[in-house]
Amino acid sequence: MSERPADERDLVLAAQRGEREAFSELVRRHQRRAYVVARSIVINHEDAEDAVQEAFLHAFKAIDRFLPDQAFGAWLHRIVANAALDVTRRRKVRDADELPETVASPFRDPAESNELRSRLQQALQTLPARQRSVIVLHDVEGFKHSEIGRMLDIPEGTARSDLHYARSHLRRVLGEVRSGL
Amino acid sequence: MTDEMRGPALVRDDAVTNGLRAIYAAPTEAAYWERLEQRIMAHFERGQEEGRWWALSERTYRYGMMAAGLILILAGSVYLRSRAVESQMAYESVIETPGADQPVYARRLPLDERRATLRAATGH
Repeated sequence: MSERPADERDLVLAAQRGEREAFSELVRRHQRRAYVVARSIVINHEDAEDAVQEAFLHAFKAIDRFLPDQAFGAWLHRIVANAALDVTRRRKVRDADELPETVASPFRDPAESNELRSRLQQALQTLPARQRSVIVLHDVEGFKHSEIGRMLDIPEGTARSDLHYARSHLRRVLGEVRSGL
Repeated sequence: MTDEMRGPALVRDDAVTNGLRAIYAAPTEAAYWERLEQRIMAHFERGQEEGRWWALSERTYRYGMMAAGLILILAGSVYLRSRAVESQMAYESVIETPGADQPVYARRLPLDERRATLRAATGH
């Protein structure tokens, strides 16, 4: 999470000077991780994409305030998390206005027919949003508790306990499925 | 089950983790990321176009505030200086009036005979 290509600082400096190609390169390098961070917070793939786009726009509007010696990724992930939370809030308002909440299908889940996985998807919907984000960021993407804490603006200990509760909850749900199979 | 360094409280269930990885896996196709990059850049450029005058105004605002601060300081010092000059001039106009240190005699109109008699009789 902490490794940075040697020339990333130069890219940031060039982006701060308004060089489009430098910005484009930063997008290339960071978009996948940004997507993962956003996806851990929002409910579906499309919202994750929207959040990533918004986040990059915010990041480059604020890039003058970024100190090039800091880790660009960590700074960007915080912005992505905020953008994803905004998207989630907007979606809640929209869903409340328009349609009853549905369990959104994730992006091209290859195991739709798998009972365990489909129960896992349902169980994920019952998890509090923050716990869901924490378990995905930690167990799927391998972020550290301290990084997750910074991204979601929560203490490291809270990230740790969220992970514990999320794991317990999902294990319990899957345990029921396993015993029924 | 995989034990992590934090003890049994944070035991990870590999089946859950594998399920999560399948659900939350980021797309792997290079074409997908190329498209997303293009969309981000298009979004960025649209945002730049819409926000250009904001960006300009932000910079202008910064310089404007600095200039306004300078003008305020200059105006303040000019005002204080002019006040000091005015006070000095007022003081000097009093101090330097010719004969300012001489006794002042009021000019009186001469009394007519009736008033003079009355004054002499009453004493004032």
